[in-house]
Amino acid sequence: MTDQFRVKRIWQQDERTLGIVWTDGRKSLYDVVELRRQCRCAHCIDEVTRELKLDPDSVPESLRPQRIESVGRYALTIQFSDGHKTGIYPFERLRELG
Amino acid sequence: MSFFKRVQDKFAPKATEVKTGEVKSEMTLPSVEASAQTSASEAPKGGALDRVKSLIAVGSGKGGVGKSTVSLNLALALQKQGKKVGLIDADIYGPSQQHMTKAVRPTLLEGDLIEPSTYQGIKLISVAMFSNSGQAQLLRGPMAAQVIRQFLSQVAWGELDYLIIDLPPGTGDIQLTLAQIAPLSGAVLVTTPQEISLIDVRKAVSMFQTLNVPILGVVENMSYFICDQCDKKHYIFQQAGGKKLAAECGAPLLAEIPIDPRVAASSDAGEPIVVKQADSLVGRAFAQIAEKVVAQEQMQRGTDGALGYFLLEWK
Repeated sequence: MTDQFRVKRIWQQDERTLGIVWTDGRKSLYDVVELRRQCRCAHCIDEVTRELKLDPDSVPESLRPQRIESVGRYALTIQFSDGHKTGIYPFERLRELG
Repeated sequence: MSFFKRVQDKFAPKATEVKTGEVKSEMTLPSVEASAQTSASEAPKGGALDRVKSLIAVGSGKGGVGKSTVSLNLALALQKQGKKVGLIDADIYGPSQQHMTKAVRPTLLEGDLIEPSTYQGIKLISVAMFSNSGQAQLLRGPMAAQVIRQFLSQVAWGELDYLIIDLPPGTGDIQLTLAQIAPLSGAVLVTTPQEISLIDVRKAVSMFQTLNVPILGVVENMSYFICDQCDKKHYIFQQAGGKKLAAECGAPLLAEIPIDPRVAASSDAGEPIVVKQADSLVGRAFAQIAEKVVAQEQMQRGTDGALGYFLLEWK
C-alpha cells in the first residue's frame, strides 16, 4: 500500500511553467528555471555533506526543459537545454515545492 | 502498453555505455534524487516488454529467507491458474533459479534479442544461464544494474500476464534500477518469523514506499515445523513475525509457509514443490498466495487515474 500521490495530468502551461494535476486533484505550477536550481542530483549537491554544489546564479533565466519523463512510479526526470539530465524529482518533493 | 515500448527504446543500450561519469550518481543510495540512468537513447528494438501486463517484484532486504523459492513457486502457481508468466532472476551475484529448474541456456535471436528459457510453461532468465557453474559474477553496481536493464529490454518476453522478478537481498543498485525503469505493479515481501529478519525486511518496506511501489502482501516462510511423530506445530524461528510485519505495512499476510524438507529437496532436484507435491501443505500455500497476489494486484491497479509512463516534450 502506498500513500504517495502521483501525476494525473502534466502539461506545458507557458514558455517556462510546468503544470501538474496530482491524483488528489491538487494543481501545481512550477517555474522550470527554479526546478533546475532545485536539482538534487550528485552533480548539484554533495552526496555526503549535502552541501549545494550548484551556484543558483549560474542557471540562466533562458534555460528550458527539452523532455520531461516519468521515473518508475515515484518521480520524474528533466532533460534541460544545457544538457543537464541527471536530476530525479520525486513526486513527494515536487509536492513540497509546488 | 506503449510505455513499455518507450522504456525499451530508452533502455536498450549496450553494456559498454555505462560511463565513468555516471557511476558516481548511481552510487547515491540514501537519496533517490540522484540519477542512476544511462544516457543512451538508441534506435527502437523489437518488442521485449510490449505485451507484459504486470511486473511484480519478490523482495525481502534479508538474504536466505526463501525469496527465490517463493518467486519460482509463485510463478508456477500463477501459471497453473492459467496465467502467462515469466520470471527474472535478478540476483546477479547469487542466482538460484537455474539450479532450481535446470533450465537450459537461452538462445539468441536476431537483433540482439534473447529468447528466454522455458520451464513448466513459464519463461525464465537468469545470469547463471550465461556463466559456468561456480563462476562468480565480479561486477560493480552499475554493471549489475546494466544486466537487469538487458533482462528487461533485450529478452523476448512476448505476451505475459505477470513477470515476476526475484530480487537480490539488500536495497541497492539492482532494486533502484528496476524501480526506476519500470513502474512495478507491486512487491511481495518474504520474511522469516524472527525479529532479526524483520529488521532487514522493514528496510525493503521503506525502500518500496519511497519508490512508491505498492506492497501486495507478506509471505512468512519457515513459519513452523510439523514432525513425523505428532501434529504439533514447532515454531523454530519464533512466531507470527510475518503477521506483525503485514500489520505494520498495511498489507495482507499472504501465507505462513511451514518448513518442509521436501521444499529444499525438490528445489535441489530441479522440481519445485508446486510441481512435485502440489497437494502438500506448502504446495497449497503457494496456490493461495497466487490467488491473493492476483486479487491484490487488481485492487492496486489504477483507480486514481495516475499516469503510468509519461513523456512531455517541451516546445
